[in-house]
Amino acid sequence: MGSVLRRVFKKISGFSNYFERNQSPRSRRPFHRDVEQEEFQYASSHCLSSYYSVFVARLAIMVMLAILIGLLTLLTWHFTRVYTAKSLENLAFGLRYEILQRPILRMWNILNSTVEITTAQVRLSEYVIRRHSNPVNQAQQVELYEVMRDVTWALFASRKALNAITINYRNGFVQAFHRDRRSNSTFYIYSDLVNYSISGSYGTNTLSSLEGWSGNISATWYREPLDPATGEKIGKARKIPPDDLINIAGYSQVPDGAASWHVAVSKYTDSPLLSAALPVWDSAKESIVAVVGVTTALYSVGQLMKELVEFHSGHIYLTSQEGWLLATSTNAPLLKNSTTGTQLMMAIDSEDHVIRMGAELLKRAYGNQFPPSHEVHVENARLGHQLYYIDSFFLNLQRLPMVGVIIIPRKYVMGKVDERAFKTLVILISASLCILAVGCVCIFILTNGVSKEMKLRAELISHLDARRKAEASSNYKSQFLANMSHELRTPMAAVIGLLDILMCDDCLTNEQYATITQIRKCSTALLRLLNNILDLSKVESGKLVLEESEFDLGRELEGLVDMFSVQCINHSVETVLDLSDDMPRLVQGDSARVVQIFANLISNSIKFTTSGYIVLRGWCENPNTYSNTRKFPLNQKESRCMHKMSLKQHTNHTKRSCKKEDKVILWFEVDDTGCGIDPSKWESVFESFEQADPSTTRTHGGTGLGLCIVRTLVNKMGGEIKVVKKNGPGTLMQLYLLLNTPPDTAGKHCSLKFTDHSLMVLLALNGRMGRSIMSQWLQKNQVFTQEASEWHELTQILRELFQAKRYEEPRECSRPGELHTREMKDSVFIIVVDISLLDLNTDIWREQLNFLNKYYGKAKFAWILNHDTSNTVKMELRSKGHLLMVNRPLYQAKMVQILEAAIKERNLELRKKLNTLKSTADGDSHECLEIDPIQYDAASSDDSDKSEMGSPNPVKESHILKPTEFSNTPYVTVENCVVKSNGFSTNDPSQVRSTLCDRLCSGKVVGEHKSLGGLRILLAEDTPVLQRVATIMLEKLGATVVAVGDGKQAVDSLKITPSADGCRRDSPTEDYRGRTETEIRDGPPYDLIVMDCQMPKMDGYEATKEIRKSEMETGSHIPIVALTAHAMSSDEAKCLEVGMDAYLTKPIDCKQMVSTILSLTRRSV
Amino acid sequence: MDVVSQLQRQFVDFTTSLYHEGFLDDQFTQLQKLQDESNPEFVAEVVSLFFEDSENLLNNLANALQQQIVDYKQVDAHVHQFKGSSSSIGAQRVKNVCAAFRNLCEGKNLDGCIRCLQQLKLEYSLVKSKLETLFRLEQQILAAGGTVPSMA
Repeated sequence: MGSVLRRVFKKISGFSNYFERNQSPRSRRPFHRDVEQEEFQYASSHCLSSYYSVFVARLAIMVMLAILIGLLTLLTWHFTRVYTAKSLENLAFGLRYEILQRPILRMWNILNSTVEITTAQVRLSEYVIRRHSNPVNQAQQVELYEVMRDVTWALFASRKALNAITINYRNGFVQAFHRDRRSNSTFYIYSDLVNYSISGSYGTNTLSSLEGWSGNISATWYREPLDPATGEKIGKARKIPPDDLINIAGYSQVPDGAASWHVAVSKYTDSPLLSAALPVWDSAKESIVAVVGVTTALYSVGQLMKELVEFHSGHIYLTSQEGWLLATSTNAPLLKNSTTGTQLMMAIDSEDHVIRMGAELLKRAYGNQFPPSHEVHVENARLGHQLYYIDSFFLNLQRLPMVGVIIIPRKYVMGKVDERAFKTLVILISASLCILAVGCVCIFILTNGVSKEMKLRAELISHLDARRKAEASSNYKSQFLANMSHELRTPMAAVIGLLDILMCDDCLTNEQYATITQIRKCSTALLRLLNNILDLSKVESGKLVLEESEFDLGRELEGLVDMFSVQCINHSVETVLDLSDDMPRLVQGDSARVVQIFANLISNSIKFTTSGYIVLRGWCENPNTYSNTRKFPLNQKESRCMHKMSLKQHTNHTKRSCKKEDKVILWFEVDDTGCGIDPSKWESVFESFEQADPSTTRTHGGTGLGLCIVRTLVNKMGGEIKVVKKNGPGTLMQLYLLLNTPPDTAGKHCSLKFTDHSLMVLLALNGRMGRSIMSQWLQKNQVFTQEASEWHELTQILRELFQAKRYEEPRECSRPGELHTREMKDSVFIIVVDISLLDLNTDIWREQLNFLNKYYGKAKFAWILNHDTSNTVKMELRSKGHLLMVNRPLYQAKMVQILEAAIKERNLELRKKLNTLKSTADGDSHECLEIDPIQYDAASSDDSDKSEMGSPNPVKESHILKPTEFSNTPYVTVENCVVKSNGFSTNDPSQVRSTLCDRLCSGKVVGEHKSLGGLRILLAEDTPVLQRVATIMLEKLGATVVAVGDGKQAVDSLKITPSADGCRRDSPTEDYRGRTETEIRDGPPYDLIVMDCQMPKMDGYEATKEIRKSEMETGSHIPIVALTAHAMSSDEAKCLEVGMDAYLTKPIDCKQMVSTILSLTRRSV
Repeated sequence: MDVVSQLQRQFVDFTTSLYHEGFLDDQFTQLQKLQDESNPEFVAEVVSLFFEDSENLLNNLANALQQQIVDYKQVDAHVHQFKGSSSSIGAQRVKNVCAAFRNLCEGKNLDGCIRCLQQLKLEYSLVKSKLETLFRLEQQILAAGGTVPSMA
C-alpha cells in the first residue's frame, strides 16, 4: 500500500516537474530581471508542489480511511457471523442428534416391547404347555389350545402396537392374532385341528419334530374376525391359504433356539414389519415345543419421524446395516413390488429424491465402510439445489443393526442466520461505504480549506516578495539613472560639441551640412529628453538639492519670456509677462530650477497653442502687502478670486509660518489659449509619462515628463501646482512657490514716480493681451494711456491728439477731464509702436514712417522690434532718429526703461534749452538706448538671434542712466561705462537698482567684443600656442588675463597678493589696468581661473584640489573652468569631482567659453 | 596696384585651398579674427610658437619612441600636447593624425606609433611650409602696400 502511494506521489511530483520544465523556458524572458524571474518561478513551483503534496496527503488519508472502515466492517461481520454460526451449528447438531434419537428410541422401545412380549408369550406358553403336557386326548389338546388362545389374546390386546402374535406348535398347529391396520380389524387365524395328531409328536426327538414342522404346509388355515376390544368372535371363520396373510414364525427361524430378529414384509401393510421369534422349550429344556413370533409394524416409527419432520422439516430414515430402508419420514413407499412379491427397498432406490441423494452421497463417501464410531456428520452437503446437513447414527441392535440418517436442510437451521448474515454484510458494507463517502467528503472539505489557505499564503508570500523586488528595482532604477547622469550627458554633450565642430568646417557640401544640422537638432532633443529624465530620477532618488542663492526673479522670467517669444513669433502667439509690482525683486532660491519650472510650463503652452496668447502672471501674496484692491486682468478676475478663496485655508498656515522667516508666497499663472486639458486629466497630467491626450504625442511629440518635473520641483519648493478652470478655451495652470526673500530687500519694490513727469503713453501694439495688460499696469501707475491696435487707429489718435494740441483749445482733448492741455504740453508723450504695425511687405512702411516723423519732436517714439526685423528697417529708423528700440515682447521692465529714457531725454532737452548750449556734436549725437534681453545662459542657443541687433551696427554712444540720479555729462565713453558698471556689480552687489542699469551697459551695447569686460582671469596652460591663443581670445573679450605655465604657478599666483603679481602680460588699455589694479586689492585676486587639465609639474586636477583646499580657510570660491582636449566622458566627471565648475574642450569655442564664463561669474556675483 | 590685387587674389586662392585641403580649419580663422591693431603680428606669433613647440615635441617623440622600453604614457602626453597646440591654431590634419596617434598609443602599438610619427612629421612639415608660404604672401602684400584680405 505504502509503495503504491509512494509511486503515485512520485508520479504526481514527476508530472509537476514536467509541468514546471515545460513552463519555465516559455516564461523566461530575455530580460535583465532574470534572477527575479527565477525566484518567482521557484515560488510558483513551490506553490505547485505544495498543492500536489496536499493532494497526495488527501488521497492517502482517504485511502486509509477506506481501509480502516473496510477492516472494521469485515471484522464485525466475521465475528458476528462466526460466533453465531458456531453456536448455531452446535445447537443444530444437538437438535439433529435429538431428532434422530427419538425415532431410534422409539425403535428401541418397539424392539424392546416386542422382545418383552415375545418373552412374556414364551413364558406364558411354557407355563401353559407344562400344565397341559402330555395331553392324552383331543379334548385336552383343544383345552390347551383354548388356554393358549386366551393367554395370547390377553397379551395381544394389551399391546396395541403389535401387528401379530403367532404360535407355531411342533405339531404344526398355528395360532395367530393379527391386526390389519388398514381395515382396522383384528383377526384370529388358526390351522385346522383335524390334521394334527395330538400325541406322538411331543417327546419325540428333534428329527421327527423337524419332520413335523415341515408337514404342516398342506394344512388348512382359518381366519375369523374378532372384536378388537373384547376379542369376541364377530364373524365366520373363513379359509385362507397358509402364509397368505402373515408370516408365521416357524422353527426355521429359531434354528439354534435363540431369539431371532428380522424384518419382514407383510401383504397387508405397506411398511416393513419387525418380527421376533423365540422358541418355547419344554420343561426339560430339551426340545422346542413351539415357536412364538411377534411382529411389530415399524409404522409408528415412520409416524414419529413424520411428526418430527413436520415440526422440524427435513428427512429422516432408518436403514438396516445392509441398507434396506426401514422407515422414512416421507410418504414414499418403503416397499417395492417385484415379481417375487413385495420386497424391501434399498435407501438408494427410494422414491424420495432427497433420501435417495443423501443415501447416494453417503454411499459415495463411505461405501459400506462406516467409520468406527458409526457416526457420520456431513455439513453443507449439496443435494439438488439445496444444502443439507446429513447425520447418520449407527444403532447396533443384536441381530438387527440399524443406521439412522437425518437430512435437515441447512436453510432450516442456518437459513435465518445466513439471511441475517447476508443482510448484516450488506448493511455493513453500505454503511461503511456511506461512512467512507462522508469521510472522504469531510477530508476533502477540510484539506481543501487547508490547501486553500496554503495556496493563499504562498500567493501572499510571493506577492510580498514581488512587491519588495519591485520596490527594490524601482529604487535601483532611480539610483541607476541618477548615477548614469554624467555618463549619459557627457557623450551627448560630446556628440553635440563634435557636431558643432563639424558644422564649423567649411568643406562640407550643402547636403552634408543639412544632415549635420539635422543630427544636431536630434541630439539636442535627445539631450533635453535625457536631462528631463535625469532630473526626474534625481528628484525621485532624493538627490536633488535646491540651491539657496539670491537671484532676480523678474529678470530671470523676463529672459525666459524673451526667449520664448522668439519661438512664438513663428506661430502668431503672443507671449506676455505680467508681473505685479509687489513682487520682490530679489528672492532666494534655486534660480535654475525656478526658471526650469516656467520654461517647461511655457514651452508646454507653446506646444499646444497655435494662436492667441500665453500669459505668465505673477503676483505676491504677502500678508503685509496683500490687498484685495489689486486689479485682475480681464476675465480671469473671478476665477482667480475663486481660486484664492479655495486655497485660503491651505495657504493660511504657510502664511503664518512665513511671517517669521521672511518667506513670501509667490503666485504664478500660465494662461494660454491652446487646446486645453480635459478636466478629468487635470490631476494626471502631472504624472510621469502622462499626456492629456495620447494623440498629442503624434502631433506634438514630447515625453510627458515636463509637467512631472515641474510638479516635483514646485513641491520641492514648498508650493503647489494645479490646473484651474478657465473661462474660454485654453489652459490655466496656477502655482505658488514659497521663497525666501533677503531680509534687507523684503517689501522694497520698484516704486516708480512717473506721476511727477505727467507721462502719457500711446500703446500701438498688435497683441491684444499684451497691450491691455500693459495699459492696465500703466494706468495703475497713473500714467495716462491710450491704445491702438492698428495703423489707422494710431493715425487717428495721433491726429486727434495733436490737432487738439495744435489749436491749443483747452477743452479739446481726447479724454476730457483726464488730461488738461496744459499738462499735456509739459508732459512727455511717448508713442510705443510695434514694428509690425507698419506694412513691411511693401514699401509703404517708409511712407508710414514719414507720416510718423511729423510727430517727431512732439512725442517720443519707442519701437518694438521683432527678432527678424531686417536691418534696413532698423537703419531707416535710426536714420530718422528713432533710437529707442526694444525687442519684443514688451513687459514692465522694458516699459520702465522706455519711460525713463524718455524722461531723461526730455530732461536733457530742457537742460539744453536752459543752458542754450549748442554744439555740433550734440546735433549729431543721438541717444540710443537699446535694451536687450538678459544673457540668459539656458537660452544660449538663441544668442545668435539676440545678438543680431546689436552687433552689426556698433553703437556710437551710450548713456548710463541711473534712475535715481541725474548724470551731468551726456558723453560717457564706452570704457568708462564698462568699468563703472562692473565696479558696481562686483563691489556692491546689493545695489539692486543698478542691475537695470548694468544690463543696459553690460549687455549687447558692449556686445560680443567686451562681454567679459573687467573680469580678471587666471589662465593656466602649458602649451605656448594655446596659452597665447586663449589669452588673446579672452583679452579681446575684455578680460584681464594672467597666464601661467603650470598648475604650480597657478596655485602660487593665487597665494601671493595680486599687486605683486608680475606676470601679467598686458591689458587692453592703460587706464583699464590702473583701475583694475586698484580694485583688485579689495576683492579676490581673480574672478575666474581657466585651467588646463594636463600640465607638467602639477596638472589641473591637482591644482584645483590645492586651490579648493586653501579656499576652505577663507570661505571664498573662485570659479574654475577646466580646459581639456580629452572630450571624453570620464574627464568631465573627474573635473567636476575635483571641484571645477565647468568644462571646456579644446579647441576653444569662443561662444561657448563666453557663456560658460559669464554664467559662472554672474553666479559668483 | 595690379601687383597688389594679383597678390591678394593669390593669397585668397591659397588660403581657400588650405581650407579645402583640410590643412587649416575654422580655428585658424578665429585666430585671424583675434588679430587687430593691438596685436598686429598675433597670428604669426602664435604660429611661430606652434612651430617651436612642435619641433620640440617631435624631437621628444622621436626620442621617446627610440627608447628600449617605450614609455607610452610619456608619448601620449606629448601627443596630447601636440594635439592641443595644433588644434589651437587650426592645423586640422596634424590634429587628426594626433588623434590617430593617441589611439595607437593607447593600444601600445610601437610600429603604428613610429609610422604615425613619420606621418606626423610629414603633416607638420606640410603645414609649416604652407603657413610659411601664407605668411610670405602676406608680407608681400603688405610690402606692396596692400591690405591683407579678410577671410571671414
